[in-house]
Amino acid sequence: MLAFSKGSADSFHELFLRYKQPLYGFFRRRTADPSQAEELSQEAFLALLRAASRYEPRALFRTYLYAIAFKILRAHCPKAAFRATFFGQPKSLRDPAKQDATESGLWVRRAVEKLDPIDREILLLREFEQLSYAEIADLLQLAINTVRSRLFRARTALRNLLEPSAAPSPNDAAPSAEPAPLPGSPQTIPQRGIRL
Amino acid sequence: MSTAPHAVAPEEIMAHFDGELSVERAPSVATHISACADCQEVRASLRKTSQSLSSWSVAPAPANASFQDRVACLARENSLALSRSEPRIFRFSSQWTRGQLVAGLAVASALSVPFLVIAIPNLLRRSMAGPAMSRRVKPEDKEKSLIPLDGPLGTAQHSKAFANRLPSANPPGAAADTNGLLLGLDDHVKDSSSLDGQSISDQQSRVLTAPMISRTVSLSLVTKDFQSSRASLDAILVRHNGYAAELNTATPQNAARSLEASLRIPAPQLPATLAELKSLGRVEGETQNGEEVTRQHGDLLARLKNSRETEQRLEAILTQRTGKITDVLGVEREIARVRGEIEQMEAEQKNLEHRVDFATVNLRLSEEYKAKLDSPAPAISTLIGNAAVNGYRNVADTLLAIVLFFAEYGPVLIFWLFLFSIPARLVRRRWCHAVRV
Repeated sequence: MLAFSKGSADSFHELFLRYKQPLYGFFRRRTADPSQAEELSQEAFLALLRAASRYEPRALFRTYLYAIAFKILRAHCPKAAFRATFFGQPKSLRDPAKQDATESGLWVRRAVEKLDPIDREILLLREFEQLSYAEIADLLQLAINTVRSRLFRARTALRNLLEPSAAPSPNDAAPSAEPAPLPGSPQTIPQRGIRL
Repeated sequence: MSTAPHAVAPEEIMAHFDGELSVERAPSVATHISACADCQEVRASLRKTSQSLSSWSVAPAPANASFQDRVACLARENSLALSRSEPRIFRFSSQWTRGQLVAGLAVASALSVPFLVIAIPNLLRRSMAGPAMSRRVKPEDKEKSLIPLDGPLGTAQHSKAFANRLPSANPPGAAADTNGLLLGLDDHVKDSSSLDGQSISDQQSRVLTAPMISRTVSLSLVTKDFQSSRASLDAILVRHNGYAAELNTATPQNAARSLEASLRIPAPQLPATLAELKSLGRVEGETQNGEEVTRQHGDLLARLKNSRETEQRLEAILTQRTGKITDVLGVEREIARVRGEIEQMEAEQKNLEHRVDFATVNLRLSEEYKAKLDSPAPAISTLIGNAAVNGYRNVADTLLAIVLFFAEYGPVLIFWLFLFSIPARLVRRRWCHAVRV
């Protein structure tokens, strides 16, 4: 990205090839329509292009890219909901899970959809985008301990949804919503949170 | 499965599983997990959940050639712009897309259309009106066209100014009177003077000698000594043969006294009366109006003359002709109607002439008030008590107003809320569904 901001067009091509699929996957898992996911990923790359001159390497490029994608997605959701409310669902919209997922994938997706929105977002960012707790906390404007506890809650809930017969163990029976700061971990800051 | 409390929280096991545990804490947690079957189970469960999630695969991104080309093109442009290191303003302008430019141009043209529609006709009208206005009023003509309001009516100066104002309006061949005045009266008005005896000829001569102007003056004065000014006002009215058509005096306590009067002053005496009235105090405002009623008076005379002729003819018919009783009664009814019209017009004529003969002066005389500390201020306890009573009354009034409002408009509000709640609930349901999808 630094090379591109200094004028190298090839470096952006390299970035494009490397992050095209992860970015598409990010949007595909959060939108119903593949074409929407494609449009949003295009929009994210265009935003990246336009912001290239202002880029400063203060964090990992991956975090920077997902922050852009997350903002685009957050701006897209109300617009899509408004269109769907007042103009109806597009006719071409089909069940997304049936298009590009196996039967087990469909089952997982259905289970993930039942999670709390913020828990779901944290789980997806961790499992698929491979962001660290600190990066997720920075992206969602949450305390890092909140991210950890919510992630644990999301995984537990998902396990219960996928395996209803599995009995909860005594350790994960009552995970604290806001655990006390652990030694070596950053201090908890007041939770601000964002609307998803 | 043991129920003893664990030294390691399940979230720490998860953090260890994710590699997010701090370097100091990681070895002790790893040691505990290797020794604890429950924690191993938790870690296995987490691993299994992650493996389950990995089955949710996403199809490869569609290879959109046009998008890739566009991105490549933009990347080239961007890299060129960056390598040239142009000033920031040019880089900013290069970020404008074609759609934004088109939208901007569309908005600008949409805004300019109403501007042009409004502005161009106004500009054309102004450019056409400019020469016409300059032709119409020349500086030397402007002086002639003004009629001085000061000075008694019927004077030589006033008549001359009036004559200078009218030459273009007079028909060719119109006769000039002895004072050099020309009036554009209709021919039948001129003829009426010879037919209606002495009174009409007097009236017409009055019309022909000077323009009839009804004058109104508004005067606002402030005086230091209200009592003496009031007495002087009466003396002025007596001296100039005027009278007060209406007079109201207000003398409030702890405030300035004032007087409002509508005075009628003989028109020739008006300048002198005004001068004396102004000497009563400081003049705060003065307005003078002159309404010319010459033509109105002439028209009234002509109509009066016609009605009188009609009355004479009807009386002649009644005395000379014979006929049925119904015809006689019809003629008498017509005579009564014409008589009524004549009397009404005579009253109008008198009123008009009175307005010309007597100018109206609307006078407002105020006292220059000086506050006095003659009454002691009320006690603090009284003030607090009054304030408390007023406060209680205000609260009671407000509560009563709220109750009355809901009593009056509550049913309507409930009705409208019910009406709006149906589509609102529908929209909310669709919105929630859309957000979920």
